[in-house]
Amino acid sequence: MNKNIIQLKNIQTIYEGERVPVITDINLDVKTGEFISIIGPNGAGKTTLLETINGLLDYAKGSGTVFGKEIKRHKNCIRKDIGYLIQNYEIDSLAPFLCKDVVMMGRTGKIGLFRFTGKKDWDKVWYSMGLVGMIDFASRPIGKLSGGEFQKILLSRALSQQPKILLLDEPFSNLDYTSRQQIEILLNRLHESYNLTIIMVSHDLGFIPERCNRVLLMNKGKIILDEAKSKALKSKIVKNTLKNGRKTI
Amino acid sequence: MIELPLGLVGISVLGAILAGFTCSTMGTFVVRMNLASIGYCMSHAAFAGAAFGLMISIDPMIGALIFSFITAFALGPIAEKARLQSNIVIGFMFSLMIALAFIFLNYVPGQSANAKALRILWGSILSVGINDILLLGFLSFVIIIFVVIFYKELVSIMFHRKLAESSGINTKMFYFAVLFFTGIAVSFSLRIVGGLLVFALIINPTSTAYQFFYDFKKILIFSPIFGVLSCIVGYYLSLTSDFPIGASIVIVSAIFFAIAIIISPKRKKGNGKK
Repeated sequence: MNKNIIQLKNIQTIYEGERVPVITDINLDVKTGEFISIIGPNGAGKTTLLETINGLLDYAKGSGTVFGKEIKRHKNCIRKDIGYLIQNYEIDSLAPFLCKDVVMMGRTGKIGLFRFTGKKDWDKVWYSMGLVGMIDFASRPIGKLSGGEFQKILLSRALSQQPKILLLDEPFSNLDYTSRQQIEILLNRLHESYNLTIIMVSHDLGFIPERCNRVLLMNKGKIILDEAKSKALKSKIVKNTLKNGRKTI
Repeated sequence: MIELPLGLVGISVLGAILAGFTCSTMGTFVVRMNLASIGYCMSHAAFAGAAFGLMISIDPMIGALIFSFITAFALGPIAEKARLQSNIVIGFMFSLMIALAFIFLNYVPGQSANAKALRILWGSILSVGINDILLLGFLSFVIIIFVVIFYKELVSIMFHRKLAESSGINTKMFYFAVLFFTGIAVSFSLRIVGGLLVFALIINPTSTAYQFFYDFKKILIFSPIFGVLSCIVGYYLSLTSDFPIGASIVIVSAIFFAIAIIISPKRKKGNGKK
């Protein structure tokens, strides 16, 4: 746990056609193997920060590197080693894709152009589906799953990539209590076994995994607190910000 | 039954098969991307091109191909630049092409010239030449290679473009390529079934395949099979009944679709897998 895997300096991200930046003055160093939770009210810029890290959104100001490579220049390359769990969205119930194929899609960038999927890739798919307990759903149509099952398949998709960094946007949304616990245990296990760097967005303080060692609090596009988990959970700023945030939602 | 020279029948059947194959293969992507109107857009681009060809006194088919190429090539980048859904840009191009066609036709003297340009919209399978077959054959080969080599990228983009991008795929390039190949498949097939009916070859076989499978790979395999079958059966129906060939092909593909809806395993309870 010593090398900076992500470095963001004075980052500002603005959506196209907008004047007000969604996130601004973001300075963040993340070391290999850190497990970070980003919390904050709706509209704080949490998802924008994740998508700035993997280059899905271009930053307007500042500089950012991931794996020592500039994000803007090497986004396609760095994304191959970043697993991303997108915030839950509605899937068309007639979508013509099987769960196993959706999980395999996570490996597409990693396999590379002009190469076909092989037995090794399928082994990774079965393994990651097994990790989230969805192996029995392999041949089920993706549109026929419940919200929680779909979320697990998307997590499995991100894991099949064998990422060095895992970006999780609200991984516990749509999950029932038991599934939340299963996923929390899995994230703790992955972090412990593979020294995986995990950055997780959450708005629920009650579900910050045990192995999470750092908490970032965001509000109005800025990181207003960056502390160890134990300190952050006791912080008045955290409680007040989340409380005020809820009132405005 | 109409008596036709065997060579002519052979060439036109082959043309119909190739048109059915290319259009319904690309139709798999078009239906998933909700871009059904691309058929109208490309056929009217060809119509405008034919009118342009007549205006400057060159073969209208050459004009049609040039306009189709330019339109197919421009659709993706314009949609990206304008930050609009591709369907909106297709609508814009469609209206622009009709307007251009009318302007060009205004400068072409005589009714027969107008009829020549309109022939692009109706199509005429019996006027298909060996060059059309070679073009469609080459296009079919390129589409097969494209789909086989980039299947994993294409299927990933069809599922969710942003997620595909997040795993390191250059989605823009593939998105443009799908639009381009679809546009070209439509323009090469115009002579066979006509610009208005080519739409059916894109939509109907894929919609039929959708009734049976939840697996994109199977839809991609069976959509061209239904497309080719529609063309063969439609051609036979046309010869035996004296119906226009394009219309017969469309009727057959519509019947296939109707049968698929009735016998679709997706509507049977307790059989959701397939």
